[in-house]
Amino acid sequence: MIKVANLTKRFKTVTAVEDISFNIGESEIFAFLGPNGAGKTTTIRMLSTLISPTSGQVTIDGKNPADDGDYIRSIIGLLTETPGMYEKISAYDNLDYYASFYDIPAQRRRHNIEKYLKMFDLWKRKDDPAGTYSKGMKQKLALSRALVHEPRILFLDEPTAGLDPESAHMVRQFIDSLKHENTTVFLSTHNLEEASGLSDRVCIIKKKIIRIASLAELQGSSKSKRMEIVFSDGASKFLTLLEKIKQVSSVEIRDNRAFLVVDEPHQSNPFIIRSLVEKGADILYVNEIKASLEEIYLGLIKDEETR
Amino acid sequence: MKNSLTIFKKEIKEVIRNKNIWLPVLIVTIIFSIAMPAAMILGSNAILKDPDTVNFINRMFGDVDNPMRVLMDFMIKQLIIFLLMIPAMVPSLIAPASILMEKENNTLEPLLATPLKTPELLLGKAMTAFIPAFALSTISFLMLTLVVDVASYIKLGFAPLPTPEWLIVAFVLSPILSFILTMASVIVSSRSTDIRSAQGIGAVVIFPIYLIIGLQLAGFFMLNITYLLVGCLVLLAVCPLLLRLAVRIFDRENILTNWKMK
Ligand SMILES: Nc1ncnc2c1ncn2[C@@H]1O[C@H](COP(=O)(O)OP(=O)(O)O)[C@@H](O)[C@H]1O
Ligand SMILES: [Mg+2]
Repeated sequence: MIKVANLTKRFKTVTAVEDISFNIGESEIFAFLGPNGAGKTTTIRMLSTLISPTSGQVTIDGKNPADDGDYIRSIIGLLTETPGMYEKISAYDNLDYYASFYDIPAQRRRHNIEKYLKMFDLWKRKDDPAGTYSKGMKQKLALSRALVHEPRILFLDEPTAGLDPESAHMVRQFIDSLKHENTTVFLSTHNLEEASGLSDRVCIIKKKIIRIASLAELQGSSKSKRMEIVFSDGASKFLTLLEKIKQVSSVEIRDNRAFLVVDEPHQSNPFIIRSLVEKGADILYVNEIKASLEEIYLGLIKDEETR
Repeated sequence: MKNSLTIFKKEIKEVIRNKNIWLPVLIVTIIFSIAMPAAMILGSNAILKDPDTVNFINRMFGDVDNPMRVLMDFMIKQLIIFLLMIPAMVPSLIAPASILMEKENNTLEPLLATPLKTPELLLGKAMTAFIPAFALSTISFLMLTLVVDVASYIKLGFAPLPTPEWLIVAFVLSPILSFILTMASVIVSSRSTDIRSAQGIGAVVIFPIYLIIGLQLAGFFMLNITYLLVGCLVLLAVCPLLLRLAVRIFDRENILTNWKMK
């Protein structure tokens, strides 16, 4: 549905996005995860035909934005990063105004407006000026606006940023419900849980693509692992021994426990444990400490910075 | 075109609700198309008694049989120039308000993501500024005519309007001026973040208006058809340049990356 090849965008002096490539399949939910300034909004704007790439290709439903911009715009919905409404105009009229630029019959338009306003619990206040809406309500209204023309591709730029937990939850639930629909979703976020919880694949970006993987792949991907060794007593006696083992990249002793980061644990762990036992250690437990998604993410971002 | 009309309809509703726009227009219309001409004509006897006026008439027009008629012609030439305030002021109040509200509310980007074409967006915004300007200036020129004719008929027994100059100013010069101010306001609004300062563009035409009025009073120059037509042609030549610039500014990428936003 979306094909991106070697896409680069440079503004006068800044390179916002550099040489990114990925493909997104029909009805996939694709998370675009990166810190502020990573190039998420810039990428969405290129994919939604709003700005042109400096180099590289974008193909949306087989068409390219420079030649078939109007077609692409007719099949996409965009929730912008800071979506706004005409504040003095009613919520209903706001949706009606935007929807009138699409080629859909008036009756269907009214039907869809009603459907989404009801779905997001805004129907009772449909005649109130949008300026009187709370932030969460505005976001739901903006989401309705991105949906009323039944887009096949939905771009969501940080849809829960700055929302209270309840509204954020509702928005996430809605995105989750799209899994059962035919909509392709491009979800930009800097929220890890959101990316991993909602999407089929996560693309970690920081100007360049750092990694594209499913959640499980990400968690299994780290080459070095953390583990904990619990001694019956006197763990500190073994500090120097552990530090000397070259596969152990860091050691920390707390109470009767040693926390290690080990490279290639499948090869190194038997050797490490044997060495400890030979020196008279009484080992009670050896546990693997699974890296949280956050640690993996921060690790990947950090690796990229130091590269 | 249908899309531009949709934009126009929505924007006009917002203009009507915004008294910061129509209140100044109403005041200026009342002053220049009703109060000022009525006062001038009703006071024409007094004006004509002033030796300065007689001097002025003699200097400008030589020895005349009917000084009242001459004075009337002269006052009308001043009044129609004053009235150009309206076709200039209306678009420069409306266009910046409409464009800067979109910036303030972040409503442009979602609009650009729809199949709406950017020239349609420009046309919709331009219609919102131009159509009320044309309507209001036509109304105020008609009102001026009514006031001048009624007042001078009662007082002097003749109805001097319309004159050929009046026709050209009301139906050629005034729309050209509105168009120029519409485009200029649109262009200025893209670079501005403050409604009031962008609306200041309208004030620019006050200088040429006062200049013409001053030059006529000083006797350097008297408006006639030739001058008017030359003026219209010069202004008309500027129109395509401004239009081209406005179309270039109203481009998706330009709006999102080069426009000055808050
Ligand atoms: N119009 C622009 N002109 C210049 N630089 C820009 C422009 N838009 C974005 N950038 C820069 O590009 C980089 C990526 O920005 P953005 O795509 O907004 O990141 P994100 O959405 O991930 O926070 C940032 O360094 C930003 O300052
Ligand atoms: Mg962003």
